[in-house]
Amino acid sequence: MIQPMTAKELEYVADSMSNEDLLMKQNAQVAAMATNQALRSLCSQMIQTHQQHYDSLLHAISHHQQTAPTQPQQ
Amino acid sequence: MYQQQNQPFLSDEDLAYTVLCDLKRVVREYATAATEASCPDIRELFTKLTNSTLTMQGQLFQAMQQANMYNTASPALRQELDKQMKQYQQTKQKTQQFLQQKTGGQMSQSMYTPSVHQSQSNQFQQPNYQ
Repeated sequence: MIQPMTAKELEYVADSMSNEDLLMKQNAQVAAMATNQALRSLCSQMIQTHQQHYDSLLHAISHHQQTAPTQPQQ
Repeated sequence: MYQQQNQPFLSDEDLAYTVLCDLKRVVREYATAATEASCPDIRELFTKLTNSTLTMQGQLFQAMQQANMYNTASPALRQELDKQMKQYQQTKQKTQQFLQQKTGGQMSQSMYTPSVHQSQSNQFQQPNYQ
């Protein structure tokens, strides 16, 4: 039986998805705008990794959905 | 609007630096999240994300350094290294004595193991300061 996720953990997971989302967009901007070819290709690669991170975080929430209580606990 | 088509608003350097700063911040946040997690699976996730983000930050830093976007930091002076070395060797000895009194302590293994140079040989040897 999986331990329920704490409220604090959920906050961190949600904030982390915001961070990953921003990084994806920033990297897309560098990949599109930069003149340095090495920088462009590195940033394109990093988009994939941030996508993976985002999906992992999303997966963590879905994995804990079943064990989450529906009433506040004291 | 103010920006002409296809003309970057920011230089390569500024673009890259913006991403680098955020990667550094996110590494710290993931490390903090890992320390504050209570579910083992969440802790493991944040630990993996810390490492993965740290790797990307290192790659971006290297790419920026190769593109001369970073001035090389000036090296620490030999006498400064000597000074810190001497001071912390003394601290180490005192602490070792303290630990031996309290626990009958053990020798520690160094985590610093560079692949080049003579790494292992003089690890525990006391330097010769006169």
